[in-house]
Amino acid sequence: MNARRKIRKNARSALWSVLCFCLAVPVVFPVLYAFLGSFRTAGEFSRLPPALFPDSFLNFDSYVQVFTRVPMARYFLNSLGTTALVCAVKLCLSILAAYAFAFYDFRLKNLLFVLILGTMMLPADTLIITNYRTVSRLGLTNTWLGVAVVSFAGASQMFMLRQAFTQAPRALRDAAFLDGCGDMRFLWRILVPVCRPVVITLLMQVFVAQWNAYLWPLMVTDSDAMRTVQVGITMLTGAEDTNYQVVLAGACAAMVPPVVLFITVRNRLTASMTRGAVSD
Amino acid sequence: MRTVTLGADRGISARARAGRRMKPYLFILPILLFAVGFVYYPFFRTFLYSFSAVNVMGEITSFAGFDNYRYLFSRREFCAAISNTLRLTAMNVPLTMLITLLLGRLLKEKRFLCGLFETMIAATMAVSMGSAALTFRVMLNPTVGWINSVLGIGVRWYEDRNTALYGILLLTVWMGIGFNFLLFLAAFRNVDRDVTDQARLDGAGTARVFFSVELPLVSPTLLYALCTNTILALMTSGPVMILTKGGPSRSTTTLIYLMYTTGYGSGNYAMAACVAAVTFLLTLAFTLAGLWADGKRGDAK
Amino acid sequence: MLRKMITLVLAACVALSVPFARADAAVEIVFWHSMTETAGESLENLVEEFNRTVGAEKGIHVTAVYQGAYTEAVTKMNGMLSAGRPDTLPDVMQLDATGKVVYGAAEAAYTADDLLAERPDADLSDYLPPALKNWNLNGVQLGIPFATSTTVTYYNKTVLDSFGVPAPVTLQDIGEIKAAVGDGYTVYAAVPNTPTLNNWLGQMGSDLVNRRNGSEGTADGLACVENGALLTFLTVWKDLYATGALDNADASTDAFAAGKLLVMTSSSSKVAGLLDRIDGRFELGVCAYPRVNAEAAGGATVSGSCLVMFDHGETRRQAAWELVSYLCGAEAQVSFARATGYIPGCFSALESGAWRDFVAENPQYEAAALQLTDTPDTMLSATVGPSADFYYAVMNDISDMLLDDLTPEETAEMMADDLGGMLEIYARNNR
Repeated sequence: MNARRKIRKNARSALWSVLCFCLAVPVVFPVLYAFLGSFRTAGEFSRLPPALFPDSFLNFDSYVQVFTRVPMARYFLNSLGTTALVCAVKLCLSILAAYAFAFYDFRLKNLLFVLILGTMMLPADTLIITNYRTVSRLGLTNTWLGVAVVSFAGASQMFMLRQAFTQAPRALRDAAFLDGCGDMRFLWRILVPVCRPVVITLLMQVFVAQWNAYLWPLMVTDSDAMRTVQVGITMLTGAEDTNYQVVLAGACAAMVPPVVLFITVRNRLTASMTRGAVSD
Repeated sequence: MRTVTLGADRGISARARAGRRMKPYLFILPILLFAVGFVYYPFFRTFLYSFSAVNVMGEITSFAGFDNYRYLFSRREFCAAISNTLRLTAMNVPLTMLITLLLGRLLKEKRFLCGLFETMIAATMAVSMGSAALTFRVMLNPTVGWINSVLGIGVRWYEDRNTALYGILLLTVWMGIGFNFLLFLAAFRNVDRDVTDQARLDGAGTARVFFSVELPLVSPTLLYALCTNTILALMTSGPVMILTKGGPSRSTTTLIYLMYTTGYGSGNYAMAACVAAVTFLLTLAFTLAGLWADGKRGDAK
Repeated sequence: MLRKMITLVLAACVALSVPFARADAAVEIVFWHSMTETAGESLENLVEEFNRTVGAEKGIHVTAVYQGAYTEAVTKMNGMLSAGRPDTLPDVMQLDATGKVVYGAAEAAYTADDLLAERPDADLSDYLPPALKNWNLNGVQLGIPFATSTTVTYYNKTVLDSFGVPAPVTLQDIGEIKAAVGDGYTVYAAVPNTPTLNNWLGQMGSDLVNRRNGSEGTADGLACVENGALLTFLTVWKDLYATGALDNADASTDAFAAGKLLVMTSSSSKVAGLLDRIDGRFELGVCAYPRVNAEAAGGATVSGSCLVMFDHGETRRQAAWELVSYLCGAEAQVSFARATGYIPGCFSALESGAWRDFVAENPQYEAAALQLTDTPDTMLSATVGPSADFYYAVMNDISDMLLDDLTPEETAEMMADDLGGMLEIYARNNR
């Protein structure tokens, strides 16, 4: 009886693995395709019939181009710097705002909420020229802060955090305040850790979005010393031209930091232990 | 220390109460500053354009009333853009949500190889729009693409006016999978085990537990995903710009793409402002409807 | 953790804002360009070469910076002008047709005409007239042609030879290729757009838009309806579609390089990249842009980009002109043309031994230059205000004719309405 149940459990587990595999592979396929493509030569892209695998996995020409044609190391540093700056400030600001929307009642609450949410609905490109004027007047062109400052208002993150905060048990706050916690202490020491999975997910989102930003970083920097990775990659390829392999190599190289970040924070995506402790 | 503070609080209770009233505003102030300074202020400048005659240098030359809007609404491209955008949204949002809900629920329990699958799916969100579009262009190329050749089909994807929009849909859905998956994964893992176990003990099957216990518990995430995916879908432009330029025969022209061609691409900033304003109103209407419906549901509870 | 992160980032921010130290030179100037891939590499090498030779001699140091695609660079120029910060503009900038109007109106612009007024010794007679004329706006010479290209016909010589068909001269010839090669290939893929339609109309002696194709003021109507040129073209185009030779889709470099598409018309600047893609699988033929019919003249207009200057005081002005005349001069133009497929933009380059030797060995590079000299002087590229809208409307309207089976007459009427209306509104907004 016990053995039978065990077999059944194992079979279910195997079935689950197969199912996940069958779903995950098509999802990740374009990434694999890009990776395989980065080892091809220009000629291989138009050979018939189309092949999945490159002639040789030792053809690193495209990667050599990506890292030698432009000062890619410097670009990586700039991308990392601006991205870290945006992640830190954007998340802090949205956590603060989300806290107010989740735990306080005040007169302009709904209006302000929609007002902040509204920033998501305005196409960024209508804002570029005026923002350039502002940033230029503040003397922030060619700085990391200039690249980052236009992305500090995170409406989407604020919205998600509000959703998460309202789900956190009310008792948590009452207990904390009875213990003499202030707003700030409660928010940063208790609430944020409890909602860690959401914060981490949003961190990933903000990181990736900023890491892949192109137009604004290009606009607000003039010198090679301040350029970011995405701008560097575009330099290697014409808008509609033929250097597929180099673009794909650039894309694969640029994917490394976000993926590494994900692997590091992956384990923190599960709810933290505080939760069980409080609901008692 | 604590008692001292409490005592001081009691002493100036009127001021403290006023401070308490101000508190939420203080929390919101920083984000609001940036929202106004870098989003609303520039937008209102361009918004004025939509009621003016604007020259190619971006200078307002005269007041134009609703002329710009009238012209916009009379364009065939505009009707195509509205219809394409709405169709794209109507297909994109449910598809993205269904796929990622399924994936998130499947990977909820930590089992063998779970981390690998998680990383595989989440990795897709690291790809930039430009690279993703290019990958799809090569992959779905009717002559040299691997997909058509392996499936033995002759679909012309981005070159045929009957299929191009679905090609765009495919890319936009794919782009949304990574992040939405992570959201739902986090939400499902946050559902208290005790609650689901209790439901199971009461004799509910997996499907029943999913629909009547887990889904309601992740509904705040669901609302968020619904709203943001709708907003993003209504504002689709990147893939169109890179892959199809709105063609063939206007079949993939979307609102924001139209803003580029009719506005910036054609030196008509007033028209860009009109399209942006129309898109804003449309998006706002959808979002408010979503929030309102959610509020209703919350009240009914 | 977050707080620590912010402090760290802010500190790094300050530390890294210190600009890079540059080698000492008497005059520092900045050059914005929009060239990517091989062209970008070649251009950057030319600038380095300049710094090593002429620059070192005259105490000039040039920093070349990629500023995104042409339109992005123009947006940026626009931003700097509207922020009232002309001092942040570069000394020299690469500009394509989309930036002409904004540059022409900028106070900080130092046009080629300004240069001629200041320095009577400067001489523009070496530059090819059709290329030079392209950078003239309302009678003002804005810049000097740098990357000059034209539209040519690429064909799969190996396959055409095997069927014994010659390279196409007219659009009818393309229809005949179809009859010879049968169903295994797509013969020709194209959807006419502003410049290609303008070429075909120009061959029949007609402009696309009025005001001399927009070169003598803002065009506010079509110039090809009443003279029947548009109708003639549409009729020929529909007939070609009926032969089955024409695929109503943008020419696909992929399909062409794979040998599935036999003929395509595209920019001459693609030669080098195309040869890479073909990778020796077949012989690439390049010939002149197809004529509408046997009676039409040959040729196609010039496109590409020029170099313009901004005024940052006398010394920098002079240094800027040194750079421009170097990059647009014979030696640099030949080396840039060899790397890319752009046409050398001055007579001294086309007549140089280096260029003659090169095209003797690589005939694919010569067709464009030959075509440029064959193109009648009366043929001008069309300057259209609402450029993107116009471009796609031309494509959509002509493709509607083929897909929805409209008559050429109906189509011409529809285009006159659609395109004419667009021009009128633009002209009204920019009076």
